[in-house]
Amino acid sequence: MANQETQLLDEIITTSRRKMMTFGAASLAGLMMAASTKEAKAASYSDSDILNFALNLEYLEANYYYLAAFGTTIDKPNAASIAAGGPSAGIPITGSVGTAGTVSGGSKVPFATITVGSYATETAIEEGKHVLFLQGALGSGAVAQPAINLGTSWQTLAAAANTLTPAGAIPPSFSPYANDDTFLVGAYVFEDVGVTAYHGAASLLTSSSNLTAAAGILAVEAYHAGLVRTTINALDPTGALGLVGYTTSISNLRNALSQAGLLGAAPGATSYDANPDDYGLATFTTPTALGAGSTATSTRIVDSNPTDAIAFGRNTTQVLNIVTGGGAVNGTAAVSPAVGVFFPAGLNAGPNGFK
Amino acid sequence: MKTIDSLVEKALSRRTFLAGAGAAATAAALTGCSSNSYGNGGTTTMGNGTTYTDADILNYALNLEYLEAQFYLYAATGSGLASADTAAPSGYAGSYTEGTVTVGNAAQVAGLTTAEQEILNEIAFEEQTHVQFLRSALGSAAVPMPSIDLSFFGPLAVAAGITTAATGTGSFNPFSSFDYFLVGAFIFEDVGVTAYSGAAPFISAAGVSAGYLTAAAGILAVEAYHAGYVRTALTARAIAAGSATAYPYLGAANLVEDLRAKLTTGNTAAPSTSGSVETLLVLPTSTSTPSAIVAADPTNAIGFSRTFTQVHHIVYGSATVGVAKGGFFPNGTNSIFAVTSA
Repeated sequence: MANQETQLLDEIITTSRRKMMTFGAASLAGLMMAASTKEAKAASYSDSDILNFALNLEYLEANYYYLAAFGTTIDKPNAASIAAGGPSAGIPITGSVGTAGTVSGGSKVPFATITVGSYATETAIEEGKHVLFLQGALGSGAVAQPAINLGTSWQTLAAAANTLTPAGAIPPSFSPYANDDTFLVGAYVFEDVGVTAYHGAASLLTSSSNLTAAAGILAVEAYHAGLVRTTINALDPTGALGLVGYTTSISNLRNALSQAGLLGAAPGATSYDANPDDYGLATFTTPTALGAGSTATSTRIVDSNPTDAIAFGRNTTQVLNIVTGGGAVNGTAAVSPAVGVFFPAGLNAGPNGFK
Repeated sequence: MKTIDSLVEKALSRRTFLAGAGAAATAAALTGCSSNSYGNGGTTTMGNGTTYTDADILNYALNLEYLEAQFYLYAATGSGLASADTAAPSGYAGSYTEGTVTVGNAAQVAGLTTAEQEILNEIAFEEQTHVQFLRSALGSAAVPMPSIDLSFFGPLAVAAGITTAATGTGSFNPFSSFDYFLVGAFIFEDVGVTAYSGAAPFISAAGVSAGYLTAAAGILAVEAYHAGYVRTALTARAIAAGSATAYPYLGAANLVEDLRAKLTTGNTAAPSTSGSVETLLVLPTSTSTPSAIVAADPTNAIGFSRTFTQVHHIVYGSATVGVAKGGFFPNGTNSIFAVTSA
């Protein structure tokens, strides 16, 4: 009898999970884990809104990798994409929510090394599958591909990164499609953000199967992020090539945009570095001793909080501020709806969705 | 006859109690949760009727983190976790006792370059910090470290078929070179990802509100970063060497996958086949052939998960059901899930 009631309660709690999130939660969570997301306010969104938010990001990532690896957008398969395991039919870009936008910019990278070329090929196929999976999970509720800028947006971001302190060193004419190294830097812009987005959304999903899928995609994004950071670190272990400096600039920019989204204040006057939620590839000294020994110089393959070695999570506003350029680029903290940089017309979303 | 509303209210008040309590009170609440009672912490009931708490899930993860931390700390520094990180916490009321580490030939990896040493330092630091984080989150409910056998790599390699003849580089010892270390790390990292992925949905709603799910997702991500590192490094080194023969460690890692698949009772499909939870590494031969850095379902590119008992089968090195110890855990894990059940 008691056991039956327990089961029933747990079932109710599970289905009411998001409802409970609206009761101010943070005291315990805040005490116990500094990296917890701050998104605990009342909301009327559904799992579909969260998955559609993810789908917008996957459209962006998939098109970047498809263009870099195959020279085409995801809706136009070619011999190379099919040979690599991609679908022979184009990945749909239309949906019942929003109208399909076009992709501007982007071109095939003249890869010189098997290492980087094969990574680009693998990642393109996987991100394409994420688009298809989310479309399938959402069914008729899936959003169409928004308009995406994969051309001039890079120069916009480079200029923004270079305005921060310490000053970035990314060439104003930066294009990720120039060579193997620049492609990796372009990939760096996306992957850690994907991790933080899925991480931030995980606890908001109400369906157990959606949570399992999101955890699985979170893992894949982190594999990708680990791949990119490992490869840049291997190419430029001392920073002499400048790639490490690029990653520091990008992480600083993402941190500034994320903090602006979180705090609702434009970066600049305030120092955002007190609690950064992003770190580039420069080495650091471990804050605690290793075992019974001493502290040590360490790489930063993992983008995580040094106090608990837990990856960062971001709420949807923070992620939107990053992918649309937010305050640092547009001069304001957060624009609603968020428009700019990679999403020149904003995201596609339902009436209660995130945009 | 209870109405749904009253049940919801009751459920919410349970959560509110947890949210309102400070860390100390919660630690006490977790301590008070026994595996078979309905305590103040969140509980989940499995299909077979076993009830366990969020503390049980976090302690399961803590056992795995003890193992990973010891391995990486020895590889990076030649010694393991500080005693403060392995002993039963103050006020611990459970029945598990602190074990010892069988060191075997565990030592700082030989012949490290500066760059390799810095990577070892990072992973060791992160796994040690996971141990400290979980112990802190669990408070007095944290189980002490179980006995860990770091000499199990040898028998495991034999079981996997990683022989001198297969690799041409001497018997398997993950502390003998950075390449062999990568194979040793490979044993753990993909499994860590699947363990967290498999456990996350079982965290109770109260645990979700308390931040446990978010923390678990964040640690899952870090494990996947590590796995991405190990798989990328093995693949890149094989590409640089030019052939699978010239770099036998890639093949050795795939032999580990074969063994893990055989040990994953309930899903022993061969790696990279339909339904398997393993993705074999490949050696790309051109810029347009895909690598296989990510371990994920080939249909939808979603990462894998394993059940509590499947993970135990792997770390015990036994596919037999009903086994309580073995392999890396000679006395079993300090966990409610210690006996393999399916």
